[in-house]
Amino acid sequence: MTRFVHVLRRYGIAIVTVALFAFLAATTDSFLSQANFRNVLDQQSALLIAASFATIAMIAGGFDLSVASVFVVAPLFALQVENATGNAPLAVLVGVAVGLGVGMANGLIVTRLKVNSFIATLATSFMVFGAGFLISDRSVLRASTDAYPAIARTRFWNLTTATWIAFGVVAVAWVLLSRTRFGRHVYATGGNAEAARLAGIPVARVKTIAFGLAGAAAGLAGVVSSSRSLSALPSDDFSFVFGVIAAVVVGGTSISGGEGAVWRTVAGAFFIALMVNGFNLHQVDPIWQRVIQGGVILGAVAIDSWSQRRPQ
Amino acid sequence: MTGGRALVSVRNVSKRFGATRALSDVSVDFHAGRVHGLVGENGAGKSTLGRVLLGIHAPDQGRLILDGSPIKLSGPDEAASHGCVGVAQELSLLPALGVVDNIVLGTEECIGPLVSDRGNRQRVETLVAQHGLHIPLDKKVGSLSVADQQKVEILRALGRQSRLVVFDEPTARLASHEAVELCRTVRELADRGVAVVYVSHFLNEVLSVADTVTVMRDGRVVRTAPAADETYESLVEGMTGRSIGDAYPPKPPTPPQDAPVVVRVNGLGRIGEFSDVSFSIKKGEILGLGGLVGAGRSEVAHAVYGATRASTGTVEISGSRLSGTVEDGLSKGISLIPESRRDQGLVVGLSVRDNTTLPHLRRFMGRFGIRVKQEEAAAGQAIQEAGVRAEGLSEPVGTLSGGNQQKVLFARAMLGQPRLFIADEPTRGVDVGSKRAIYDVIGQLAQSGCAVLLVSSELEDLVEMSHRVLVMRSGQIVAEFAGEELTEANILNAAFDTEHHGNSPSASGSQQD
Repeated sequence: MTRFVHVLRRYGIAIVTVALFAFLAATTDSFLSQANFRNVLDQQSALLIAASFATIAMIAGGFDLSVASVFVVAPLFALQVENATGNAPLAVLVGVAVGLGVGMANGLIVTRLKVNSFIATLATSFMVFGAGFLISDRSVLRASTDAYPAIARTRFWNLTTATWIAFGVVAVAWVLLSRTRFGRHVYATGGNAEAARLAGIPVARVKTIAFGLAGAAAGLAGVVSSSRSLSALPSDDFSFVFGVIAAVVVGGTSISGGEGAVWRTVAGAFFIALMVNGFNLHQVDPIWQRVIQGGVILGAVAIDSWSQRRPQ
Repeated sequence: MTGGRALVSVRNVSKRFGATRALSDVSVDFHAGRVHGLVGENGAGKSTLGRVLLGIHAPDQGRLILDGSPIKLSGPDEAASHGCVGVAQELSLLPALGVVDNIVLGTEECIGPLVSDRGNRQRVETLVAQHGLHIPLDKKVGSLSVADQQKVEILRALGRQSRLVVFDEPTARLASHEAVELCRTVRELADRGVAVVYVSHFLNEVLSVADTVTVMRDGRVVRTAPAADETYESLVEGMTGRSIGDAYPPKPPTPPQDAPVVVRVNGLGRIGEFSDVSFSIKKGEILGLGGLVGAGRSEVAHAVYGATRASTGTVEISGSRLSGTVEDGLSKGISLIPESRRDQGLVVGLSVRDNTTLPHLRRFMGRFGIRVKQEEAAAGQAIQEAGVRAEGLSEPVGTLSGGNQQKVLFARAMLGQPRLFIADEPTRGVDVGSKRAIYDVIGQLAQSGCAVLLVSSELEDLVEMSHRVLVMRSGQIVAEFAGEELTEANILNAAFDTEHHGNSPSASGSQQD
């Protein structure tokens, strides 16, 4: 019995994702078509890129709201560079660097000024959104070269490069978290910062780097997204980060830190994506989709906190 | 001596926490109008007994009898409704609220749905006038001194028509004149017919304030007697005197005079915590560090390790000076087992393996990340040497017993092949069987040439394990004992501020009769 509960708790999200997959395959004709799959993967690329590193930040005990602002603003910087120089790789680099910079700033604010990470990243979000309006002069920026759209839209073995980039980023985050010293330090820092410190782990540095990487990944996600849509628009839209947090949390990574995995976030992202895809295929009213999505997120977090309250 | 029926009687109460027996078959009567002192070493069960009276802990066995009829307390609120309240060791006040609001908290006077500030203030003013406990009523509690905060807590207890008040180490953080004042308040309380339970480390204080004293040891009552029949010495003897048996391994041989010095601590100090701490430990030597909780022992251990930065002084390991960071300490061969294994030692969500190798991961790095096989082999060997009983390396550390969790920390330390091993309260909250295993590991470490700094509140640990013991009091080393002089009574005398004896602690070897 306890073993069963243990397995369920550990692999629950993977099990329900597979079950949902089977359900959709059985109940609709178009779900299993290649075009549908390709679309789902392509649409999820930006989210996967940002969420895989946001997972690391969250396991380290940091809650990063600024992911949305970086996602919106990094491509604006990138496209300005692209418009000015025509150099697409440089544009990508700038987009990622903007994210890295914001992330490191977040990390330093949280670790040095000891500001709660939720508040700190909320505050920096507003600043970054503002910077986006400034750099773009409040207008839509469009790609001026063919190289920039090609970043995400090229096909390789039937999948878009956006998908391949997402796979690559997920793999890097996965290995970083599960196989390296840094990864272990992330778990220890989020799990028990004082114990980690006494074990000789540079807790502040680990957290700062985790925030920096989350920012850089959000920057890359923004660039990939703008490359897919050929343009970028300044806004102060927080919705991207909610998608990211939903994927991380539904996957089963603990909001209080110390627990979680990149594969969980991947499973969480696909669970939500398949759910939305299934709704569309079944022609569920979009308004009801939201209600149900909210319920699912609530359920996932409630199960998480319930299982943590139980003696192990 | 007993004036009729007891207000509250504890009958054959036992209480376990995991594998630890906190109380075994305890029976005590508490009478109205009397101050009842509870004394014992750390972990003897006196605070637990106090918490049973307050409904914080429910007894596993036995009964509580209030006014002659058995009661079951489901929680502190129910205890309070019977008039049993506590003044806690850690204050339970709301620092952002005012004095009046704190005192009436939970019993606010209201007019309809609205809190009546004027009514509450009047009530508090009456209370203050009655008891002569003067505190500025308009201040926020957070801005008061600890002594004044303690008064707020006491007034809160008094404001609830208390019949039984439990004081748990009320003077631990007070200056001596404030402690005297508090003792007067305690007496007054009793004179008004309240039953007072007075838990304290300070034996002279207990002797002066209490009518009756119960001595506890290892969760049992040694005896309950009128305070007039007890002396300082008789209490110490009651608290410590026990057969030792084979609870401890034989001491490793005392290192020779010319054995190399591993660690030299010189004039170490940290503002507000400790000052001018100097000692050295030889290869293979176990140095005990004793003293009361709060005397600065853990702070010294942390500063030597590099977890906190000392404001003065130096630490040298084999002649090379430490820079004062944990990383430097670790790389020069210091290992620390911190006082609180759950808060400072382990990451309870992680596995046995991850916890064991956490500070040593550098060693297992390969081109493709951590070499897990190598890591597991090393972790497996270490936990075997430390005697950890776990289902496997991947078991979460949080599922292990307290003793086994502690052994995981020992495994971690041993994996670092330390030159200096610091253990801060290594046997706290550990069952008897695991204790012996932990002593064995400490002995082996010393025998293998490691210098050991053993911080412990358990006198027996210090006497049975150490070659030499330093005693701290109020942030300073006040005595050193070795050889014949190394006795529990000597350490205890030096650790307490023994106005009673009035002589230097090092001269106190003659005080046992």
